[in-house]
Amino acid sequence: MNKKLVTLAAILMTVTTACSTGGNKTSGGASPAPGGSAAATGGSQPVTLTIVSKDFQPEDANVQRKVKAIEEAMKADGKNVKLQVLPVQSGTYSEKLGLILQSGNIPDLIYFQGGDYNFAITQKILEDLTPYVDKSTNIKASLNDYNKERMKNYPYLLWLSPPISAVPVVRQDILDKAPSGKEAIANPTTDNYYKFFKELKEKAGVKYAYTTAGTIDELDSMFGQSFGLTSTWIKGADGKYSYGKTTQAEKEKLDFYAKLYKEGLLDPEFLTKKWDTKEKAFYDGQAGIIAGSQGKVIDVYNTKAISQNGAGAKVVPLPPAKGKAQGYTPVDVSKESRGWAVSKTSKNKDMAFAVLEYMAGEKGQIIDKIGIEGSEYTMANGKIKLTDKFAAWYPNFVESITNFKAPMDPSTPYLTEPAMKSLEMFTSMSTKDNSFVIPSDLASKWDAANAVYKEFAANMVTGKKTAADFDKFVADWNAAGGKDVTDYANKTIK
Amino acid sequence: MKAVRTTAPAQIRGSSRWKQVWSDKVLYVMLVPAIAYFAIFHVWPIYGMKLAFYDYRILGDHEYVGLKYFRELFSTPIFSNIIKNTLIISAMKLIIIFPIPILFALMLNEFRNGVFRKMVQVVAYLPHFLSWVVIAGIWFEFLSPSTGAVNEGLKAIGLPPHDFLTDKESIRWVLVASEAWRSAGWDSIIFFAAIMGINPSLYEAAYVDGANRWHIMTRIILPHLYIPMVTIFTLNVGFIMNAGLDQILNFTNDSVNSSIDVIDTYVYRIGLINSQYSFATAANLFKSVIGVILVLSTHFISKKLTSKGAW
Repeated sequence: MNKKLVTLAAILMTVTTACSTGGNKTSGGASPAPGGSAAATGGSQPVTLTIVSKDFQPEDANVQRKVKAIEEAMKADGKNVKLQVLPVQSGTYSEKLGLILQSGNIPDLIYFQGGDYNFAITQKILEDLTPYVDKSTNIKASLNDYNKERMKNYPYLLWLSPPISAVPVVRQDILDKAPSGKEAIANPTTDNYYKFFKELKEKAGVKYAYTTAGTIDELDSMFGQSFGLTSTWIKGADGKYSYGKTTQAEKEKLDFYAKLYKEGLLDPEFLTKKWDTKEKAFYDGQAGIIAGSQGKVIDVYNTKAISQNGAGAKVVPLPPAKGKAQGYTPVDVSKESRGWAVSKTSKNKDMAFAVLEYMAGEKGQIIDKIGIEGSEYTMANGKIKLTDKFAAWYPNFVESITNFKAPMDPSTPYLTEPAMKSLEMFTSMSTKDNSFVIPSDLASKWDAANAVYKEFAANMVTGKKTAADFDKFVADWNAAGGKDVTDYANKTIK
Repeated sequence: MKAVRTTAPAQIRGSSRWKQVWSDKVLYVMLVPAIAYFAIFHVWPIYGMKLAFYDYRILGDHEYVGLKYFRELFSTPIFSNIIKNTLIISAMKLIIIFPIPILFALMLNEFRNGVFRKMVQVVAYLPHFLSWVVIAGIWFEFLSPSTGAVNEGLKAIGLPPHDFLTDKESIRWVLVASEAWRSAGWDSIIFFAAIMGINPSLYEAAYVDGANRWHIMTRIILPHLYIPMVTIFTLNVGFIMNAGLDQILNFTNDSVNSSIDVIDTYVYRIGLINSQYSFATAANLFKSVIGVILVLSTHFISKKLTSKGAW
């Protein structure tokens, strides 16, 4: 009897240790209504809204100050609101957010940072924001063309930000040591860039011209379109779409990268680099070029490069290479990959959206982007002068500067000149992609096909495979599920 | 009369058992947190396993879909490769790493200098407390083809450098070696404690009979380690489908992913990051069933061959 009990206990413990589903319910209902009624916008009792976002932790002093400032500013504007910030466990945000939502306690305002996996469609918990946006003033003014397109395709996530894409940069002091750099910037053909890369290594003293964090995506931002990879799906002569990474253009591009790798122009350890070691290599002068998101990230690169190497080390954004086409990585408009959502179960949807609308306005953007007067900035002669504390303040609601009209003191601009330049260059040299949301029943096949591509690309660049293996890769890619996705693409892309 | 004879001793036994429990009440109270932990975090989640058979809904009733997610899992083009990787990596870890803590404990026991022994123990236990992010960083530096100590050594003896981290042939060995480095010291504690528990009179008797250190080790110490060895091996077999999520996430790169992509990383990618909880549950349930089968098999084989098992 004892043996049987022990055996049963062992089975239970082994099974449960390996199983990590948590105690999901089989039935649920709307989350309890937080706060008061939607009608109470200007009443004496504030409307409580629950809010969850990445890097927005209730114990963070800056978050507390930002929340207080928002509440006071909105109250002065006739909207009496109380924001209750929900804690998120440390770890991968999308994973932890999923667990919060899974519990059934759905916040009024939810920030998704990728991985929302069509929550609005599969779980039906997100509000269609179209009617709210139509009635808005500030948000409407802050939407860029890509935002508008994405909202049309998936009107559940709102993200007022420039499309996030990698823009390559070089340090000015290193650029100056490579005479061909100026020519490459003026006429950025692939050949000129190749010459520039060689000079960076031979004359500017860097160990390698370019480094990336683990993948070739950042190189693609610079060279992809020049080889003809103008969209994810490329229309062939027969009128059918093929996945760009299985085409002749990809083969030529990978061959070029393999040449860079073989000649030591591409970091020999790029596959094992992480974002921090990549950036360190750049600041230390080991890598001549790295890529980062245009705008705020380039701003950070610029500030850190100067603080470590002096004013001469300011960063210079580089244009994408010119060839069969020219442009940074095409912009996916199938949906917002991240952004703010209003819960369908919220009893204060209007007020929740009012917070987003307020934050997109002039006063809201100053609180969000710049901080609190007397701390992150001071006012002098009607101009905003940033203090040292500004470095620790970052936007949580609106990253876009499309509708940002704060009166900045010229001595402390919101974004440095290279960051502004990167935004301008991206705007003028970006194109719309034709990628689409992969349906759930093809998700595992898409994952498998992508894994085949990534491995082949890494092996071809590092010389373990050659262009002669490309046809076999295409066959493997199709067999892994790529064919089914291609069939779907040909039905989906109009 | 018969009934009186059979029930009376049982009553006495029951009464003395409760007396025994009462006399050990402090120990039982100490057991309560552990029982609560397992009940809340390990037994209760069994209820959630049924999600593998339902379409998960945050709001409203889950829709019963039968074996849909199992079919999806088994029809995934890379599923067989993932299972293969999981079994190969786990088996390598199980077979290669398992003897290391035992050998380490035996080695520690041979040290006569207590201070030196403690120092070695501390150094050996230390990696256990490091996260895989930190360990991966250390090993990346250690194995770097341009500046790493291993490749510097290879170059010093005239051999070409080798990029162990992007080579499909080497990466599994890197996983095994880094796991051994992290866990061998810590895992040796249980064996070292078992050695410390051996009655010293056995050693004295053996020395009187003319035994040397080798005889002591093979005839006295190793037989005493037999039961912890079998227990730990059996439990390790149960975890054979857990090839190491954190470790692999930190060591993976595009070039070697197909060699080290295991069930856990796949479930993490498809199930958790993409919020497909039912799919993730189905994969985990499959993994758990295999684990249970392996534990029971190992236990019964061990019982059959040696008359000793894990319980």
